[in-house]
Parts: sequence; structure tokens; C-alpha cells
Amino acid sequence: MDCPGKRRGFTSRREFLFDAGGGISGLALAYLLKQEGLLASSSSPCGPGGMGANSPVSPRPPHFTPRAKSVISLFMSGGVSHVDTFDPKLDLDRYHGKPLDGKGEVTVRQGYPGPLMRSPFSFQKYGQSGIEISEIFPHVAQKADEIAFIRSMFGKSNDHVMAHYELVSGTIRMGSPSLGSWVTYGLGTENQNLPAFVVLYDARGGPFGGSANWSAGFMPSAYQGTVFRPSGDPILDLKPAKNLLPGEQRERLDLLAKLNDLDMQKYPGDHQLAARIASYELAYRMQGCAPEAVDWTKESDSVKKLYGIDNSVTAPFGVQCLLARRLVERGVRFVQVYHGGLGEQHFDTWDAHRNVKENHSQHAAEVDKPIAGLLEDLKQTGLLDSTLVVWQAEFGRMPISQYGVGRDHNPKAMTIWMAGAKIKGGQAIGATDEFGYRAAIQPHSVHDLHATILHLLGMDHTRLTYFFNGRNMRLTDVEGNLIPQIVA
Amino acid sequence: MLRSFWSWGCIYCFIVFVAAAPWPMTRERQTSSQTISFSREILPIFNENCFRCHGLQKQTSNLDLRSRAGLLKGGQHGPAIVPGDADASHLFRRVAGLEKPSMPLEGELDPSEIEMLRRWINQGAPWDGEQTEATTAVPHSSAEVVPAIVHGMETAPQARRFWAFRKPVRSAVPQVKSVGWSLHPIDAFLMRAMEEKGLTPAPRADRYTLVRRAYLDLIGLPPSPDEVKAFVNDTALDAWENLIDRLLASPHYGERWGRHWLDVARYADSSGFEEDVDRPTAWRYRDYVIRSFNMDKPYNLFIAEQLAGDELDWVTFDSKIATGFLRAGPRVMDREKDNPEYRFNYLDDMIATTAQGILGLSVQCARCHDHKFDPIPQMDYYRLQAVFFPYVDVDHYLAPQQEVKSYLACKELIEGQIKSLREEISRIEAPYRDKFFIDKVLNRFPKDAQIAVKTPEEQRTPGQKLLANQLFQVVVSLERVPSEALEGMLAPEDREKRSGLLGEIKKLEAQLPQTPPSSIGVTDGDYRFAPEGFGDQPAPGKRIKINPELQGSFLPKGDKPYQPPPSYFLMGGDMQRRGAEMQPGFISAITEGNPPTAIQPAHKQTSGRRRALAEWITSPDNPLIARVIVNRIWHHHFGRGIVTPLNNFGRMGERPTHPELLDWLACEFVSRGWSIKQMHRLIMSSNTYQMASHFDSAENEKIDPENRMLWRFRMQRLDAETLRDSILAVTGKLNRQVGGPPVFPKIDPLVLASKKRGTWKIQEEGPEVWRRSVYVYRRRGLPFPFFQLFDLPDQTVTCPQRDVSTVATQALTLLNNEFVLHQAELLAKRIAAEAGQGFQAQVAYAYQIVLSRQVTEEEKRLGLEFLEKRRQHHDKLGNQAALVGLSHVLLNLNEFVYTR
Repeated sequence: MDCPGKRRGFTSRREFLFDAGGGISGLALAYLLKQEGLLASSSSPCGPGGMGANSPVSPRPPHFTPRAKSVISLFMSGGVSHVDTFDPKLDLDRYHGKPLDGKGEVTVRQGYPGPLMRSPFSFQKYGQSGIEISEIFPHVAQKADEIAFIRSMFGKSNDHVMAHYELVSGTIRMGSPSLGSWVTYGLGTENQNLPAFVVLYDARGGPFGGSANWSAGFMPSAYQGTVFRPSGDPILDLKPAKNLLPGEQRERLDLLAKLNDLDMQKYPGDHQLAARIASYELAYRMQGCAPEAVDWTKESDSVKKLYGIDNSVTAPFGVQCLLARRLVERGVRFVQVYHGGLGEQHFDTWDAHRNVKENHSQHAAEVDKPIAGLLEDLKQTGLLDSTLVVWQAEFGRMPISQYGVGRDHNPKAMTIWMAGAKIKGGQAIGATDEFGYRAAIQPHSVHDLHATILHLLGMDHTRLTYFFNGRNMRLTDVEGNLIPQIVA
Repeated sequence: MLRSFWSWGCIYCFIVFVAAAPWPMTRERQTSSQTISFSREILPIFNENCFRCHGLQKQTSNLDLRSRAGLLKGGQHGPAIVPGDADASHLFRRVAGLEKPSMPLEGELDPSEIEMLRRWINQGAPWDGEQTEATTAVPHSSAEVVPAIVHGMETAPQARRFWAFRKPVRSAVPQVKSVGWSLHPIDAFLMRAMEEKGLTPAPRADRYTLVRRAYLDLIGLPPSPDEVKAFVNDTALDAWENLIDRLLASPHYGERWGRHWLDVARYADSSGFEEDVDRPTAWRYRDYVIRSFNMDKPYNLFIAEQLAGDELDWVTFDSKIATGFLRAGPRVMDREKDNPEYRFNYLDDMIATTAQGILGLSVQCARCHDHKFDPIPQMDYYRLQAVFFPYVDVDHYLAPQQEVKSYLACKELIEGQIKSLREEISRIEAPYRDKFFIDKVLNRFPKDAQIAVKTPEEQRTPGQKLLANQLFQVVVSLERVPSEALEGMLAPEDREKRSGLLGEIKKLEAQLPQTPPSSIGVTDGDYRFAPEGFGDQPAPGKRIKINPELQGSFLPKGDKPYQPPPSYFLMGGDMQRRGAEMQPGFISAITEGNPPTAIQPAHKQTSGRRRALAEWITSPDNPLIARVIVNRIWHHHFGRGIVTPLNNFGRMGERPTHPELLDWLACEFVSRGWSIKQMHRLIMSSNTYQMASHFDSAENEKIDPENRMLWRFRMQRLDAETLRDSILAVTGKLNRQVGGPPVFPKIDPLVLASKKRGTWKIQEEGPEVWRRSVYVYRRRGLPFPFFQLFDLPDQTVTCPQRDVSTVATQALTLLNNEFVLHQAELLAKRIAAEAGQGFQAQVAYAYQIVLSRQVTEEEKRLGLEFLEKRRQHHDKLGNQAALVGLSHVLLNLNEFVYTR
């Protein structure tokens, strides 16, 4: 058995060529593309399928039978307080106002540590599993039986940016490929008419750390995330210039193809040139398919309602979630959805230093309905079994207060949850200590999380490697243990 | 097989051949791609699965897999392998589950790995690189060893046998059978390799192709129609050599080749990370690089300046700017002093960039443990770290010393006065601030917090103390009292006093002397005394205090000789786990004898460690420096290095395709005074460089499908910068101004909004930003999208070599991007203006401008057909609109974006 990671790592690292079996002329290629165009138009022109040839992101077999084909990653930028959302702590009520003792030196990000602070929110048991969830997530709570909560996650940094980098790439430094890049590199994508790895960020601004969050790092840029923008054309430079007449672009493309074909006669079988010719046809189709993919307005009113698009508070994130579903439906491999963006950090992200009640009430209200809607919609459309939904933030927050109202960053403990991919729902995995200060029982690192995600996609994290800097690099470096209850 | 036109090939006679030792016979050459390489295929398997029990730390069952001898000797159960017979080898049988207990004990190997081991043993278990004897060279007599080096293996002598760690040897230029081919030594080396494999070289490219190739290669811009004509019609025998000389003399040469070096130097204009702070003087380093290439600065001096420009005998403005090389890496610029581990990452960045960029070695593995593939012990890493450890970030002032001195003195004086005035203001304001806090701020906080503050200090519970502490911080950090609010509260006399003081400050500020020009770089100092700068603000209450017993200063003061702060071996790379104090040193596997590790300059204001490093690195005895740079030069000329990747000459890199040639070039480079321009002349005058890229040979394709032997010229996709520059050049709009502060071409506002911190000045689209791409602002947090799409490397680490990917979004950009479309219009205008009326002439001229050649009949027919058809669609100005369409198409052609 051949590992796609290894094979690609060692050979054509620099040149990604079409591999169409010993050479292909421009004319033959045009023929192929036409053939495929016919095929595509007979069903859905923008649906899955539609590979003209073998591109850097053409589909590749996983290491073993996967549980899921695609991932929707919901990232709550700024850091969510686990003790106020999915990890209730009775001892915070009991010891409210007392110092956090006996845990060694408490490192806070801002100022001095404060005393322990009870959650301003109440918790209730939900579903058959009876998992306790905060009042600010009433809709997600209804899905408790379909969600596996990992309450014992921990990260390495209490810096927003570094923690973002760790969650998305496994390392706190810039320059490593993001999870979406690794997944795309390992599996390719089933729909060449759309990017393989799409990023949808908050209209208020990008997440902490910006585009490095979806960079391909040391891998070729073909694996980087493509931003589908919150307004205007979804992809940069997607639409032809407004001053072009109808059909004008097509005629230019036809002339381009003819002239390139003439040129190909001098270089019969050259894969680079053939790839470039084909890329124009793909681009042309992307122009049609990407707007179609993001045009959610044609969805039924009931679907829009499900995502909360009928309400101004929930509409922005509702649209992001609905887009994620539409993209996954069309074969996009990895959709990274950010909530919270760098406008004014204290209000536009989950960074609740100043007031956890106000901040988290607002942000939970923005995402709760859309997330529950997404899970429900995926279920109704039958996509949930083949889609992994991961919910995370860059770190949890402190059980102690800032000024009696806010909470500081806490990478030592956070809750991350997963749904879909036939994961057993209604379970709470691991636990934090009595205050939620530190992951205590069955603690899991970000490497463990990444190993588990790759596993669900049918990849062994120790075998998905990319040769760089003198060695076979891995998403999980030399670490990573599967989370047993998730992969069971 | 010989082609008559090869006989024009230059006669090369000025090289004196030195009798050379034959290429070492112990080296195994990869004869077939089928041969499994131990270091590439097998070592990683051992490393992941076996060495934990059968390696350095443990030799369970007396089995040590670290050498071929160890495998043959085997353990308790006899030899681990029988070369040539996998089925009889314990090692194979154990991993394949044919023998119990199966290995590895925990888990099993991947079937492909088992198959790999089987094939390797059946091939005779070849051991590439050197023949290691059973490794006994580990100095482990614990009595003599300081704790730090328990895990720090010293380099075994046999490690030096690896090809890259031996000095290059100048082989005799080979005799080739194909007599008429060329007398050029480069051609001879390549021809011999081709003869061995039965490959036929491509014919010479035509003169149109050659002139375009030379322009794009040397200056990164296509030639104008006149320049093409001049060369094509130049019948002089040395027309080609003259062309190369002209291009090397162009100021644009440095812009093109300097850019290659800036990739190595991970150059950027911002700090990266969240803050992505602007580095307003970083561009001086970029210009220094361009200048150095233009003046053909000897490479050894170029390197020495970048490593130790502040420590040389002749310190110049340029050599000080050059230290920007060490300063160019990313910086967090937030809470720097609260997080001392950041500094170790910056040191790592310097070490990595120096080792990979200049020596082609990756040493970063050795930060935490001995390098697993190359003979680089962890000790070497910390010796290198000790070399850089004294560094401190400084602004080098680029003005006469006296001027700088008086500037600094004057500044210090005035700033001191301002400081005491500000303190006075603070004293006046203090009671009002407190009052404001109680009246206006405190009531925004919850009851228990208010109570905590109002409770007398001695009566507060431990929890209340914490709350009160935090709230008092609010006054100084989060909730600064707004100036207007304060103004209103002040009693009249205090208000008057305060505004008087503010007035005085204003006057003093006006007297501050103008800052002389400066450039960011490094010198030696003591980081522990670094003055507070941007990014150093500690979290409130978190300030790391300087140990009061510590004596010293940020930069050496007075005449006392400089003393570097101590640096230590760090176990597992962990800052908290200090081992022995380290002395500077170099990579032992490539160090001969005992070179000095510190060469302190006469003024004794720096340690001289980096200078010693520079002398060691640029010594002709260093086996790597020349090989690595000639390989880089080769790569940029031919699209592939003799060794790839360019930054890994270790065991995990590929073996050279032409080892003798690589060494010959390295020797030639040093003997020609480390001149890069001489290497261009040498390489480009070969027939190899002048071959056609289109040469179809089924036979060759079969033998060498990847064209590793260079039987034809390798087409190269223009890199991002050259593509943009070429577009601007053919439209005639390129602003050719050389040097200066960076420019900011337009970025889509929505893209800009994705990251709000960091700089992107809004500049009008036009000649001011239509500068060469090397001058476009390099923002780490937001790479210029056009460049990023065309494989701009990651700007935070030294770039091994650029990728070339072909994706649909590139096509989208060249089709729809505003800049490209605008340039297509400008191109159409230029064509109409210069070619005159009539589509015939316009099509012909368009080809001359865009592709540097004559249009063919068929192309002309297609072009005219398009123009005729298009013009009917447009009522007014139909001709012009049609021509824009054609121009746009030409900018999208494969031929335009590939060097042929």
C-alpha cells in the first residue's frame, strides 16, 4: 500500500503536473475537457466530480475506510469560557470570591489574578444523556445527544495568535500548513470546480493571526485555504470585468486556447503547459460554480429559518453555516468557519476580559441557532454521517475573574466538541479539575485532536507526511494519540 | 548525433586545469532509480520504530541498528540481516510477522514499509553515504561528562566521509566522445553524463529565444523589440558574451538576483505575528542586497558583512545595514519581556537561516536532540547559539560618528527633561485620577468588586485583595482617564500648572534633534538590560525585573572590554532545563583543526564571535559554502539545482546529479574571487545553457523523463515578481526607479479587512506603484495576493526553493484581476500608438513586444480573425476594444509566463 503523503513528499515537490498517463497533447486535452463538459452538463454542472485530469487537489484514496469525507470546522475566535458554556463547575459557586489556591503559580494574560468567580449563567441537563449545558446555548443543547464533548482539551499558549496557530496547524509558530491544507494534501477534493479548502470568516474581520491561519505553510500554495468573502464576489477576481460584453470573455478564452494549442505543438506531452491550459477551463467553470455555490438566497424559507437567517442577530453566522453546508454538499473537503473577527477585540470576538456575561450572551446568541440549524440540516440532508463538525476556540477561559466580571485566557483547559461522522453523541469525554482550571482526567492535546480528525477522515496521522527541512513533517509532529471514545 | 551548429560553440581556454584527485571511490552513485536509499527510505523507518530499543540509548538483545556493521553483527539471535536474502533475515522476518515476537513490539509497520525493507535487504542492504562502523564513538564515560552532554553525542570521525562534508575536489574536465560538442568544461561534464546514459542533447535555441531567456534570467524583464533586433542582427562572434555583459551591468540585474537572496534571508517589511509591526527602515537591507549584487561584491565578503558587519576591520554603513540579515526574521512584538522564550526562537531563526541559507544544512533538529540523519550533535547547536547569543537589536545610525554622538546626547538630555516634567504632571493628576476612578469608573463594576475596593486594605479578605489589586490596575491600564474629563475636574491652580508644564514639554519636543537615517540590525550587547521598546510593555504587574545583583549595561560603556552574557546548553531545547555554560563553536563535522571562535575587534566593544563565525564560514576550507551558492546560481539558471532541495546538502537531501561538476564549479567560484557575475558568464557561455527547450526525443524521455541530465533546456514558469514586472515592462509602464522605501500597490479592501493590524498605505494605482516587484511592501501577515497566488514562499522562514504550482485561481487572476485588465488596456494603447493603424501591423508588433519574436502566419490569422470579429461587437472604438482583447490574451499565453 502506498501512502499518498509519502509519495507526494518525495517526488514532484516543486512541479505539480497532470498525470494523464504518458503525455497528452493540447488537442487531446481539449477533447478530454469537452468530453467532461458534456458529462458534467448532463447532470449538475457544478456538482461533485468534474476532474479533467489529475491536479494537485485531485482525489486520492485515504489510508483506510474513512468515517467522514468532509469537515466543517467552527472556530470561535477570542476564546470561549468553557465553565460558562459546556463544562459547569459547582465548586465555582461554593468558592466564589475566594482565591484559587493549590494550583501552583497562576499565569494570567492581563494584570493580576482575581478570585474565583461563579458562572453568571445557569445550567440544565439535556437529552437522554443528561449532559449539562449553559442557558446561552439553548438550541445546541437540544442536540446534546448527537454531540461528543471533549472537556479535557488543553493548548500551549495564552496568546491569541499563537493559540490560533496551534489549533489550526499544531504549532504555535507561523509557517506550518494548516489542518485544512493537510487534509487537502492527503485526500484532494471531489469537486475541481470549487476550491478544496474554503475559509468563511466573520464580516467584522478576520480572526486573530489573519491569513496565516489558512496558509499552506511549507507546502505548495495549491493547498492553502481560499477565502470565500463575506460580501461581493465570493472569490477574489472571480467575475469577469463589468465592461466586458456578453460572450467576450469566452471568445478571449477560445483564442487563448487556440494559440496555446499551437504552442503545445512545439512541446508535445508537456504536462506543465497542459495543466496551465486546463486551469483556464477550470477557472471558467469556477466562475459559474462558485457564485452558484454561495447563492443561498434560493434556499427555502424553512431552511433559512432553521439557520436563523430571518433574524438580524443570527443571520450573519447563519449565512456562514448555511454556506458551509452548501459547500460540503458540493464536495468541498474542508470548510473553516470563523466567528468573531478583529474589529474591536473586546466586543467583536469572544475575548471576554471585561465582562463574560455580556460578551458571551451576545456571541452565543449569534451562533447558537445557526449551529443547531446546521446540525439539523446536515442530518435532514443525510450529510451528517459523512461530515465531521468540529466546534472549538483557541483556548478556554479562567475560572477566576477579572474585576469580578471578566475572565482571562486559559489554555490549560477548554471544551471542544464534535458531531457527525457517525461519532457517538451524548458523551462528555475527560474532565477538568474542580474549578475547570486545568484538564485533569484524560487530558488531550491539540495533536490528539488533529490525529483524531485525520483518523475520522481515513488517514493515519503518522503516515501523512510531507518532506521539508530535511525530514518528513507531520501535522502532529512526533505526538498525537487518538481520542478513544471518538474513534470507537 | 552531432549537430553541425554545435561547432560554433565557444572555445574555452582560459581555465587552468589543476590536476585533481579522483572522485572518492567509496561513494556509491545512485545507478538506478530502483535502488533503495538507506538514508532516505530505511533510516526513517528505523528511526520511527526501532531506534528506541536498538539505538543510541538502548541496545536491547545487544542489537544496534545504527550501522551496517551492527546489522551484520546482529544481536543475541545472530545477524539481523543477510544481505541479498530478506527471507533469511531476522529483521525482515520479525517485522513481517514470520517470526515471534514480531517487531516492533508495540504495533506493526506499514505494509509498504515492510516491502521497502524486504527490497532493500534483497538489494544487498546498500548503505549510502559513508560506511559506518558499529558506533562506539559515543563518549559516555559519565565521570568526565558534564550533565549537559549526556545526550549530546560528539561527531564521529567517520561522519565526515559523507560527500558534502569533504572539501570539493576539482576533477579534470572529462574527455567526451562527441568531439564537436563543445570545449566548454560545463558542457564536457554534462556531455559525459549524457553519453553514459545514451542521451542526445537538444540543439541550440534560436536567437529570439536566447535573447529573451537571457533578459528574463539576468534582469527579470523581457527585452524590448529594439533590444531583440539588436541582438538578432549582431553578427559579431562575441555577440552573446556582449549581451551578457550588458545585462550584468544593468541596475536591474541586482533587482532580479538580489530577490533570490531575499528569499534566503526571509526578508520582510513587517514583524509578523498579531501585531505585524511595520519596520520602516528594513528596506535599507533590501537595497543593500540589490547594491551588493550590482557591484558584484565577492560572496565571501557579502556573507561576512551579513553575519558580522559590525565587527569587521572596515565597518561601513553598508556592513552595518547588512546585519539586518540577522534581524530580518519574525518577532512577536508583544509582551516580549514577559516571555523570555521568544528570544530563543529568534536565535533559532538566525541559526536556521545561516545554516540552511549559507551551508545547506538543517540544524534545527539539534535544538532538542542530536540530529537523526546528519552528524550534527546537539552540542553543535548550542555552540552556534553561543555565537549569536550576545546579539541585541539596534538601530544602526548611518551618519558620521560625531553627529550620531551629539544627536544621542542631545536627545537624552531633552528626553530626560521631558520625563521629569511628565512626572510632575502625574503628581498633579494623581488625586484627580483617584477621584475619577471612584466616581466614574468603579460603579461600572459589580458590587463585590466595589466593596472590595472600598474595604480598608487590612480588612480585605484574600479574595477581596485580589479584586482590589485588579481594579487599581484598571486606572493605569484599561481605563485611562480621558484628558477632557480630567481637565474639567482640575482645580484652577492645578489646571494652570498643568497646562504650563504641557507647554514646556511641547517646546522641548520641538527642540528634539532630527533623527539621522538608520537601519535595523544587530550588534553585541546584553539583552537583559535592553531598554523598553515597542512590544516590551509587560502585562500589568508582570514585569520581569532585572536581577539587582546583575552588573552590566545594554551596550558596552566606556573602555571596558565587552563581556557576553552567559548562554547554556538546554536539555530538550527547554529554556528551563539548563546544562553547562556554552562556549561558541561551529558545526563539528565540517570544522577542521581549531579555528578561532572569537576574533574580537580592536575596540573590544563586541565579542568577535560572529566575526569568527564569518571567517570560519567563508574559509576556503569550508566544504559547503561554495557548493551551496553555486548550486543556487545553477538552480536559478536551469530551474533545478545539481542538488535539491537547495538548503539540504545533508543525508535527507538528494545526491547531486553531477557531483564532479558541482565541485568543479565550487572550486572555480573560489578561484575567481567569489564572483557571482563570473559564474553567470561561465554558465551562460556554455552550450548547455543555450540549448532549446523544445526538443522531442522519445529515447531521451524514456531514459530521463525528468530531464535531470539537462538534455534540453528546462522551461521555467516566471516567478510571481517576474510575472508582474514582465506585464509592466511590455505595457511600457514599468517605473524603473531603483531603490528606496517600499510601495503599496492596490489590495482589494475586503482582503485588507481580513487583518486589521499592520501597515498597507493606500497609494493610487499609477507610475508611483508600478515599480519593480522587489520594491512592493512585504507584509508577513498579509502577503500581496498576486504574489501569493503565484507561489510566493512563506515569508517567515528561509526559503528552500520556490514551488511552482498551477491552479485555477491563478487563471482567474490573470483573467479578471483589475491590475491585469488595466495593463491589457495600456498594452493595447501602446500597440496602437507604436504600430500605427491596421490590424496586420498591430498583431505583428504585439508579438514583438509581448513575446520578443515575429508572429507566425497561423498566429496572425487567428489574431486577425479575433480582431475582426470582436470589433463588430463594439459600436464605438471597436478597433481599440478588440485590440484590448488580443492584448489580454497575449498576457495569458503559456509562452508569456514561461521562460523558454
